Amino acid sequence: MYRINRILAAAILVALIAAPAFAQAKNYPSKTIECYAPSGAGGGWDLTIRTVSKTLTDTKLVNVAMPVENKSGGGGAVFLTALQSMKGKDNVLTVYSPPLLLINLNGTTPFSYKNTTPLARLITDYGAFVVRKDSKYTSIAQVIEELRKSTTSVKIGGNSAAGSMDHIQFLVVAKAAGVGNLKAIQFISFQDNAGAAQLLGGHIDLLSTGLGDVRGLVESGDLRVLASTAPSRPEYGVGKDVPTVREQGIPADFSNWRGIFGPPEMPAYAVTFWRDALGKMVKTPEWKKACENNGWVQSYADQPDFVKFLEAQNALSKDILVELGMAKK
Amino acid sequence: MNEIFSQLLLGFEVALTPINIMWTTLGGVLGTIIGMLPGLGPATGVAVLLPLTFKMGPVGAMITMAGVYYGAMFGGSRASILLNTPGDGAAIATCFDGYPMTQKGRAEAALAMSAVASFIGGMIANVAMVFVAVPVAKFSLRFGPAEYTLLMLFALAATAAMSKEKILQGFIGMTFGLMISTVGLDGLTGVNRFTFGVLELMGGVDFLIIIIGIYALGEVFKSFKSVHDPSFKMQTKFGKIKFTKEDWKRSWPAILRSTPLGFFIGALPGAGGTMAALMAYNNEKNISKHPEEFGQGAVEGLAAPEAANNASSVGALIPMMTLGIPGSGTTAVMLGALLMLGLQPGPLLFQKQPEVAWGMIASMFIGNIILLIVNMPMASILVRVLAVPAKVLYPLILGLAFIGTYAITNSIVDFFILIGFGLIGIFLEKAKIPTSPLILGGIVGATMETSFRQALMLSDGSPKIFYGSPITVTLIALTVFSIAWPFVSSGLKRLKASRSV
Repeated sequence: MYRINRILAAAILVALIAAPAFAQAKNYPSKTIECYAPSGAGGGWDLTIRTVSKTLTDTKLVNVAMPVENKSGGGGAVFLTALQSMKGKDNVLTVYSPPLLLINLNGTTPFSYKNTTPLARLITDYGAFVVRKDSKYTSIAQVIEELRKSTTSVKIGGNSAAGSMDHIQFLVVAKAAGVGNLKAIQFISFQDNAGAAQLLGGHIDLLSTGLGDVRGLVESGDLRVLASTAPSRPEYGVGKDVPTVREQGIPADFSNWRGIFGPPEMPAYAVTFWRDALGKMVKTPEWKKACENNGWVQSYADQPDFVKFLEAQNALSKDILVELGMAKK
Repeated sequence: MNEIFSQLLLGFEVALTPINIMWTTLGGVLGTIIGMLPGLGPATGVAVLLPLTFKMGPVGAMITMAGVYYGAMFGGSRASILLNTPGDGAAIATCFDGYPMTQKGRAEAALAMSAVASFIGGMIANVAMVFVAVPVAKFSLRFGPAEYTLLMLFALAATAAMSKEKILQGFIGMTFGLMISTVGLDGLTGVNRFTFGVLELMGGVDFLIIIIGIYALGEVFKSFKSVHDPSFKMQTKFGKIKFTKEDWKRSWPAILRSTPLGFFIGALPGAGGTMAALMAYNNEKNISKHPEEFGQGAVEGLAAPEAANNASSVGALIPMMTLGIPGSGTTAVMLGALLMLGLQPGPLLFQKQPEVAWGMIASMFIGNIILLIVNMPMASILVRVLAVPAKVLYPLILGLAFIGTYAITNSIVDFFILIGFGLIGIFLEKAKIPTSPLILGGIVGATMETSFRQALMLSDGSPKIFYGSPITVTLIALTVFSIAWPFVSSGLKRLKASRSV
């Protein structure tokens, strides 16, 4: 009797704990969804998550509020740490891109994409190699040629830290073009998107950045894009008028994908909901328009494909960082 | 020239519609309130507004956000003057003479002068924005890593050498600030420095937390001894919010000198309002005939940084408007908003969306007038905070300080940093170490260091880059001058005195 009572009590306890979870799963989402940009307001991550939040609520795919908060620092690493303390939460979303892999591989943070719940890849932006309008360079091949002669002759700058995206995308191209001593290529990292001003002012020769980041100055003719890192020219945006690195005979490309992630161990009902919602969102005209405005190329991939993609990208990035001697020991 | 006027006219047509006047007022008043609260600066204010701006359309959005920006410059000084607690970085220099004025029972004059100086600074900067935005933007591009290094060095040297009696303490404070600025992820190598495995420290120590700690918490801690002292008297009678003719006579030249300085520093990407205000303050102190009155409630020491920080908020819009490059944290958010609204920031903005660009500029003239009108009655209410007993007021300040800190980074680790700096604040006071070099060191240290290393990378290790351009040579000369001047001027005085005997 005593024993049955105990089992019964345990069963009731389980039911009591599980009941709210079931109720949650049914009415999910019923409370505010916290969206985080792992960078300051105004950057690429921030723009992506804000556009996602706006599109999902505008199209009524999500009927609760989705306020966006900025948690910047360490090239995204600070928020990745914070995300670990949100383990198992069902109301947290964030956005990441290649630096998620790079900051782990270069030793900035012990956490990797495996300490998140990937939900979907949404878009891809491509790298761009940009010069001033009066620069002597007219193709990326000329820059490579110059670097072959002397690795310090071209001053290359970017807006991310050394060993992160802007740096790596240039080295991927240099490596494919057969430049031997990759470590000797100087990369000058600027903060707060100051790179474009430094290029305009003539302090650096070439800026490695995203196609979307310099649209305004390219349209006005102040800056010229030598090449994009797209595998083939995208259909719209600045990239469609810009030759790719491949077109110029260098077999390399680099994709700046952006995807949506949940905290580690996000509950299954929440994962199902967001996979479904994001899958529907990318088909809406509102989303398509936002992509065209920002020059983003749609590259939706649902969770299973996205995880496989992340695995492959992680292995690839690791090889490059090892070669550069920038991989964590 | 005619073209500029016709464009500006178009701007006023846009800005003077009732709805846009409403946005201007709303933005300005909201900014004033946000600026008053410690920790909440214009960048946070604008970011909070972001989701609302989607409904406003591009013109309304830009007008409101610009309003928050310069409104925060008006508001930031209120708490500096009344409570010795700057609302944000740009209002630190306002504490130096604003709070002593309050202690002398001149809070009304200080509040009035700060509003008028802010107004004049903002208005002149607006005119400058209309006519010289493009040349200023072009000139600011000539600032590469070497120029930035020397500019920061100049600002630091001038601040540390501000009072020659305390020059040693000044440099100690500066060094401490520079040390704090080395904490965090180093962008040039991707290496963590002095984070001791605490990942929250990777982003560095936010200087706003240092300011809130030293000033707000420091002020509260210091009062622990005096709060039960029956002789501790409060102000109970309040006069009109106005200043005397004498105040005006002393302040207007300071305002006119500080405005162009603030405007230009603001236009340099990455420099910002705090630096502008501190440099304006130093400048006034250096050229003043009575430098000893600075820090004791000299009204021109209040007017100068107030004019400079408002002018810098206008200047910071220049890189954004003319090049599509963020000039400050706040304009970075505004750029993001433009993108979200489907606009393309960049040199073509003035041609493609003149109603947005010129509408915003015109609204800033209107906004400054509105803020001046709003701020006077608001000040007469705010000044009554001085009648609140310390027992009630200080717990409130403590609460605000913690909320403000949490709002910056949402991290508990920062609470400990905050309390730590509160205690450091007491120590600094006991050791007579001035706080401004410490804070400026904390703000510019990281940028100065990275700029220095960037410059050496650009020159392949040759120091020639630091004296190779007219700008760098000028900056070196100014640095040397600012350190030497306090000694030279006192030497001259002594010489004069000995001759007249």
